[in-house]
Amino acid sequence: MNKFLKTLIPIDIYKGLKVTGTHFMKVFCTANRRKVPLHRVQEYPEVKAKVAPRYRGRLTMLKDEQGEIKCVCCLACEKICPTQVITIESGKKEGRKTKIPVRYDFEMERCIFCEFCVESCGFDSIILNHQFELAAYNREDFSIGLLGQSQNMFQLTPVGRFSYSDSDKD
Amino acid sequence: MFKNEEMEINMGPQHPSTHGVLRLKLKLDGEVVKHCRPVIGYLHRGVEKICENQTFFQGQVWTDRMDYTSAVANNLGWAEAVEKLFGISVPRRAKYIRTMLNEFNRVASHLVWLGTHAMDIGALTVFLYTFREREDILDIFEAFCGARLTTTAFRIGGLREDLPPGIEKQIRAFLAKFLDCLNEYETLLTENRIWKKRTIGTGLLNSADAIAMGVTGPVLRAAGVPFDVRKAFPYASYAEMDFEVPTRTEGDNYARYLVRLAEMRQSHRIIQQCLDGLPEGPVMAKIPRILRSEVNEVYHPTEAPKGELGYYLVGEKGSLNPYRFHVRGPGFINLQALPMMVKGGLVADCIATIGTLDVVLGEIDR
Amino acid sequence: MNPTASMTLLQISVMAILQTIAVLIFIFIVVPLTTFAERKVLGYVQDRLGSVRLAGHLVGFTGWMNRVMWGMGRLPFVSILRGLPQFIGDIVKLFVKEDIVPEKSDHFIFRIAPAISMIASVAVFAGISFYPGALFTFPKAVPIVGGLPFTGFISNMNIGLLFILGVSSVGVYGIVLGGWASNSRFPLLGGLRSAAQIVSYEVPLTLSLMAPVILTGTLNFNDMTRKLSTEMPLVATPLLFVGFFIYLTCGFAETNRLPFDMPEAENELVAGFHTEYAGMRFGFFYLAEYINMIVVSALASSFFLGGPFLLPFGLHRFILHVPVIGPPSAIWFVAKILFLLFVYIWVRGTIPRYRYDQVMAIAWKYLIPFTLVLLMLAAIIRYAA
Repeated sequence: MNKFLKTLIPIDIYKGLKVTGTHFMKVFCTANRRKVPLHRVQEYPEVKAKVAPRYRGRLTMLKDEQGEIKCVCCLACEKICPTQVITIESGKKEGRKTKIPVRYDFEMERCIFCEFCVESCGFDSIILNHQFELAAYNREDFSIGLLGQSQNMFQLTPVGRFSYSDSDKD
Repeated sequence: MFKNEEMEINMGPQHPSTHGVLRLKLKLDGEVVKHCRPVIGYLHRGVEKICENQTFFQGQVWTDRMDYTSAVANNLGWAEAVEKLFGISVPRRAKYIRTMLNEFNRVASHLVWLGTHAMDIGALTVFLYTFREREDILDIFEAFCGARLTTTAFRIGGLREDLPPGIEKQIRAFLAKFLDCLNEYETLLTENRIWKKRTIGTGLLNSADAIAMGVTGPVLRAAGVPFDVRKAFPYASYAEMDFEVPTRTEGDNYARYLVRLAEMRQSHRIIQQCLDGLPEGPVMAKIPRILRSEVNEVYHPTEAPKGELGYYLVGEKGSLNPYRFHVRGPGFINLQALPMMVKGGLVADCIATIGTLDVVLGEIDR
Repeated sequence: MNPTASMTLLQISVMAILQTIAVLIFIFIVVPLTTFAERKVLGYVQDRLGSVRLAGHLVGFTGWMNRVMWGMGRLPFVSILRGLPQFIGDIVKLFVKEDIVPEKSDHFIFRIAPAISMIASVAVFAGISFYPGALFTFPKAVPIVGGLPFTGFISNMNIGLLFILGVSSVGVYGIVLGGWASNSRFPLLGGLRSAAQIVSYEVPLTLSLMAPVILTGTLNFNDMTRKLSTEMPLVATPLLFVGFFIYLTCGFAETNRLPFDMPEAENELVAGFHTEYAGMRFGFFYLAEYINMIVVSALASSFFLGGPFLLPFGLHRFILHVPVIGPPSAIWFVAKILFLLFVYIWVRGTIPRYRYDQVMAIAWKYLIPFTLVLLMLAAIIRYAA
């Protein structure tokens, strides 16, 4: 008898409709960008997406306080990279005891962003920055080196502005 | 008068509901499936061969990409297999953190399964709700190791770094609301008459057939066999955790659905225990800088979300690379049971059954 | 009432054309908004925002529109309209798409199948009444139709309901012919399945509408609406309540919407009957489906939900003489149609879909006996009260 009543009266469907209806009302009745968002949508690209501190972005080379490249061409990063995207050519510079890279080429096309290179570097000379907007229109833009017009190992990848937000300064 | 012909249909590699590039050759008699033959290999990348040319340290990145919805579980299996090969023991704190992340990954993988399976059957919203929960878990992964999907979370001998500050608050916030979210999915699906009509009694696999086919994981447990590698051959810190292994006896799609939902609840329990009982100490063991193997072989089974994930490693004398690196992919072996499960059913049930097998082509094809 | 009794033929024709244009304006505002609402409401139900911007534009007119929509995002209730310009682009896209006619298809039938669906859906509105009287009267100065009332219905047929049910059934031809004319295995199967589903659900649909007919004793649309809202005994209220849900279920199946949309679900082998159609031909099938939704909603809200009267299920007779909300008004009718369209989309976002044989089983094994029981109860109520 209970089973017959349950088939007759669609309580289960009503409960399901209540769940989705509550979600609808919650989103409908809250402004999208109030201080305490009741729904979960983060409106990228107008609102910038936050990444964690340990996020693995693009390989970047660091300079020390005097503006010198810290890399000493130990080739540890080149050897450890699983996809072999780093090519280093070492050279000498006057006034500097250690070697200095003449060419440090990094192919972002095939990088898998695993951070093994950073982990293996004993001289703190490279890090993975926090950029995830790394798309480009030309394949040449993915080969990044020490020199370079559009992008190089030291500066951030330029991101086209394709949105605006309340705070136009960032 | 009318000849009854069997129609051979190709559910091709590009199909919205085969969860990847799986090809099924179906022989249909009207609507009824008479014979089904899966054709795989469309995502084969040669992972096992590539790892023969990579060192033991580098091999981890390839394991991320096998079953891409459960990268941490793959990483854990690989790390433990290599540690078993070299006889390295891992500090206790590292084991607890590994277990916790592994269980998070189980929840994340089951959420993907639930979303896609529900979407195949027609409930569109469950997909979006499960991915909302998954965002929180992926944020936790990102806070810990820097990447959401291809985590490369562990290292041989322990972890790369300890837990970041603030992650405990994130985890506890997630744990506090997760059970309510599970109840929400259950309200939408478990008692729903349409869901029950679609999944009860379809895709049957009894326990004898399951064991004969070598099926493991939730598929086996829904058929009545309470085999879980975490209880049978405990690894990481599962021996110290208190949890149950959900089992059901019917062996149909509804039973698999219920088993995976119950597993998510048990994972919640395990994460709670790991976080509450986290011991102090180092997270990395002292290991030699360069690992050269001897001639020995090891097989290490773990419980991935899809089933028993086993790593088989063979070392070579004095070599940096493994001689043979083989993965017992649970999806590959579970897929063998698919023809048995869909025979005699309708085509629409075939789609539901593929959903409950939790097919991820990355680990089937490797 | 029969306002056409004293009009000349010219006046009748011009008035009919004006009313038809009004109905077409109503349809072609509500239907595109329904497709837009589908995207937004489904998005809101799924905890996301639907379409909210014209992607990427920063300058020019489209950039300005994007800025306006971004600003609209602060306001709670207005922000549901955010993606509207994007949607207009979608409509334009349907028009400018290349018109592909498969070479081996039957060209003539391929071309007229969408038209048949559309004509059958729109022609039903000749029998639907928005308001059982005159909305306004033309001033005497207007030529030809000066002084005549502009009624809320195109025609006041004595067999209104029969006309509606008959004409809406013609829409099946569009589906069958569309599937057959494509000359391809899968659209044919999909079209046949769709047609079988629609034809099967015609029976419980009609039977569930027969219960109000027995209760009121007339097929005239206006009379039925009025009697069902204001002259029903109290025991008829639960009957109308149950009948509403049965009718709505059959209505979901008629229009091939979830939970009965197996013939057009993408993850079935058999794609829908409209696979081979592109551009505006597909647009016609698409619009015809939404117009069918409006027709089902209109019938449900007229008969079961009280129509132009405020309270549903025959309860309005208690407040019939209250000043502002007592008298009927076309606004309640339109509001109820919009609410039922929202329910359509809401249900689509919630429940899974039935398998095809289960769809058929429900129609023949469960709904038809149920509606027959309802019919019996309606007869008992009518001749006992």
